[in-house]
Amino acid sequence: MARLIRTEKEVEGHYTEQWIVVDEDALDQWPAGPLQTVGKPAPRVDGRERARGEATYTADIQLPGMLHAAVLRSPHARARVRSLSLSSVLAAPGVRAVLEPGDSHVLTDEPGYHGAAVAAVAADTFAQARAALAQAAVEWEVLEPLLDPDQAVEKGSLVSEPNVSERGATERGVSEAEAVVEAEYRTQTVLHNSLETHQAVCVWESGRLDVYISTQFLWGVRATVAEQLELPPDKVRVVCNFMGGGFGSKNGPGEYTFIAAELARRTGRPVRCALTRREENLATGNRNSTIQRLTAGARSDGTLTVLKGDYVNSVGFEGWSPSTGGPMELLYACENVRVAEHGAKLNTPPNAAFRAPGFVEGTFGLECLMDELAARLDLDPLELRMRNYADSDLVDGRPFSSKNLLECYRRAQPHWARREEVRARSQGPWKHGMGLASQVWYGGGGPPSYAWVRVGSDGRVQVVTAMQDIGTGSRTAMAQIAAEELGLSLDRIEVSLGDTSRGPFASISAGSSTIPSMGPAVRSAAADAARQIVEIAAQRYHLEERVLSLRNGHIVSADGGSWPIEEITELLGEGQILGKGARGPNPTGMRTLTFGVQLAEVAVDIETGEVLVDRIVAIHDVGRVINPLGASSQVEGGIIQGIGHTLSEDRLLDPGTGTVLTQTLDAYKLPTIADVPEIVAEFVDRPDEHLTNLGSKGLGEPPIIPTSAAIANAIRDATGANVRSLPITREEMLRALRAAREREGLERTAETVGEVRSA
Amino acid sequence: MKFVRPESPEAAASSLGNGSVALAGGTDLVPMLRDGLVQADELVFLRDVVPRGVQSGRIGAGTTLAELEVDPELPQALREACAASASPQLRSMGTIGGNLLQATRCWYWRLRFPCYLHGGDRCHARQGTHREHAIFGNDRCASAHPSDPAAALLALGARLQTTRRELPVADLYRLPTEENRNLTALERDELILELDVPTPDASVYLKAMDRRAWSFALVGVAAARFGAETRLALAGVAPVPWLLENPSALEQSTPLPGTAYKVEIARALVRRALASLPTT
Repeated sequence: MARLIRTEKEVEGHYTEQWIVVDEDALDQWPAGPLQTVGKPAPRVDGRERARGEATYTADIQLPGMLHAAVLRSPHARARVRSLSLSSVLAAPGVRAVLEPGDSHVLTDEPGYHGAAVAAVAADTFAQARAALAQAAVEWEVLEPLLDPDQAVEKGSLVSEPNVSERGATERGVSEAEAVVEAEYRTQTVLHNSLETHQAVCVWESGRLDVYISTQFLWGVRATVAEQLELPPDKVRVVCNFMGGGFGSKNGPGEYTFIAAELARRTGRPVRCALTRREENLATGNRNSTIQRLTAGARSDGTLTVLKGDYVNSVGFEGWSPSTGGPMELLYACENVRVAEHGAKLNTPPNAAFRAPGFVEGTFGLECLMDELAARLDLDPLELRMRNYADSDLVDGRPFSSKNLLECYRRAQPHWARREEVRARSQGPWKHGMGLASQVWYGGGGPPSYAWVRVGSDGRVQVVTAMQDIGTGSRTAMAQIAAEELGLSLDRIEVSLGDTSRGPFASISAGSSTIPSMGPAVRSAAADAARQIVEIAAQRYHLEERVLSLRNGHIVSADGGSWPIEEITELLGEGQILGKGARGPNPTGMRTLTFGVQLAEVAVDIETGEVLVDRIVAIHDVGRVINPLGASSQVEGGIIQGIGHTLSEDRLLDPGTGTVLTQTLDAYKLPTIADVPEIVAEFVDRPDEHLTNLGSKGLGEPPIIPTSAAIANAIRDATGANVRSLPITREEMLRALRAAREREGLERTAETVGEVRSA
Repeated sequence: MKFVRPESPEAAASSLGNGSVALAGGTDLVPMLRDGLVQADELVFLRDVVPRGVQSGRIGAGTTLAELEVDPELPQALREACAASASPQLRSMGTIGGNLLQATRCWYWRLRFPCYLHGGDRCHARQGTHREHAIFGNDRCASAHPSDPAAALLALGARLQTTRRELPVADLYRLPTEENRNLTALERDELILELDVPTPDASVYLKAMDRRAWSFALVGVAAARFGAETRLALAGVAPVPWLLENPSALEQSTPLPGTAYKVEIARALVRRALASLPTT
């Protein structure tokens, strides 16, 4: 039954409370632990298709008569277009249409960052489109860019009001502390660099717009495009069958969709607008850089008395200020916490959500600070974290729907116990050490989301929902859930997704929400179909429905009777059993979060500053795990991306002009397979008993969150050096080692002076 | 764009210039053509005319890095420098001749800033972002030479045979001057044909990178010992491969604020390279 309730909706750390119409979630959770299909490792159902190159990505879409767009982008970080002439562009070979500022809301004549879209062209081939753009006659008035984030905050150049929140009294917290550490941490700008660049193909047909797009949210694209183009939403169809990476940067339609749509409208032809790798590195969003000025104070027993964080997010020309202070507010049972976040508006490319935006950066600062505090107090870092364990959410006093971080810590202990052994491997210039860091993040998903299940006379099942699989294995997980509920093997389930005209509304794949939002809807639809199969079986075998259930491809009765499910489905003939299901509400008055801990083993060459990550153990608590194999893949991917963030990736600007210098993959250094350590993934795998009919939370983002702090803390353990700035290049590593030597020298001098005095 | 396959090295060399550009492995040229850093009407394909393979210490300039890295005849420093270069795919395409002549990775140059190397009046990297840049020979242009094998060949004292002359590898390179911004002394219509590599008593190549593979050298150090004499050469520290007279010459380097760390790395790698060479 549909009900009208007031509930919370959360995406990537943003909570909104709203009235929603929501379906009841009447199913009891399955018992904990591995079941027939759910909880057991399942290879990707589409693995073969993808490995063979048969899967159709947006980049593979070829439509008859399709034109190719190219975009003229600002070479300046801040400029005005004094004059623009596209007549030579229009006259160039193969060109069919051009767009200039004013023709589309995504084109500007006052670009505020290097890479901002100014004009566009459609031609028969992409090479013709690129060549034609070179003919554009642009006269720029180049203006002085604002590039310094501290200066921006000082001048009040912000994307939004500063976000300040405080609990308790931090001044008192500082005065009660017996040890206080203050430190400034910095994180760099990093790029998503999705393998499939941002792109869309648009086709108009009889007043209807088809959008083929690499996206994380079919329905969001549909809504935004319809609104912008003033179309009824059902006149917009959005398709994404396979997707080559997004990591948060493909949550909306992007400028390329509007450019393709307008050029398609003008030419009456399908138009592809696909960004190049360089454009991908310029204008598709980034994880913004941060400056974090942090304070922690504690009593000598380790009890935190105060946490303070002053954060500057270098958001860019537009975008939003992520919750960099979130981990400081949520992770520890500290009474006095003050967090202030400033979103600096600069003449740099805008940020975009990037796999746990804010929390990745904030966790680096907070968890390094905790280790510096542990060192000051001479406490074991794991012990310090356990002493400040938060049993409930201190931000608003609510209980957690579930929290097994203590269990994560308990499972971390045998790995943590290797610390002495790891350190003992140190030899010559190579120093070995171990560090850990905790993880907190959202990931509970929420309504609305719907799924249908169709059972044919052959006893095969199709799950139909207009969700997207962004490469995370959602197809497989959804098939497992339906298979489990219907008592069928995985090979009898087909999942149809990726097309708004072929299924009901489905959640965004962001904020670690696909499994917790879509999984319960699929289970509920499968349960609806199962119920109907049982109804028919009860009539066929003259039994009561309550004694029948579906198991191993059979209908089984409590008295031992067993009939292959086809015996019932073949009665359907051309008929079908149609099940429908919806995501129910989130638990009221509770905070749903994901937790975890990671432990890193590193080796540092103290003469050359080389850092090698030898091993990372990840232990995460995300409720019930649907596919342990898919879950390990998520953890591996998150950690590898985290290693890039920690050691080598750095989007660099020219400090004078704001030009992006690292536009190609030789300059922007993603980790290679040689940089990947041994990765051990463990899951607590306990269903959250308050959350939906599955008890599952999301895992897309948690694994990348603690990686950088765990590595930095391991470096401190190995060398005594405080690395406080990402990436930890050789330059930063050598700087930190030099600072540690100087500090030690000063301490030695002080000791000597002390000894002399006492003598 | 035309694609031609000349009949002889001489024919290839004489056709170069005026929009005709030599193509070997293409791993550097093709991206530069795409980016407008090189203009070409005609590509002169060298595969049929430039020698390929190794014979008694003579290396054909068309030999790929992948072939060199596994050739047991060659000095260790050269093999290690080849193996530490780029990725397996690039090493399978890239030739040693092309590798010696590859352009700098300086982002200002690659993005076509009107810099000193492009004929402009200043080096943008000196005042700008320059963590990958030079610590020697950097007063006019602070770019860093990207070739690992070039440093190895310099330390080994290799000689080049071109279509016009024979010269030590050291003479292939020059620092830019007001009048001439080229970083090599090769004439426009001159091709490298062969390399003559002396056999040292021992040699080694060590490389510091931003990641463990597929990255240009922050600092590369080649050391080769011939009897009592040991020669050292560095990659990634100057606009050209840099011969280091002796280890203490590092103290005469002129690092920029963002490249001072390279001196520290170079000191460590030079010490290690020397320590790793067995003594007689």
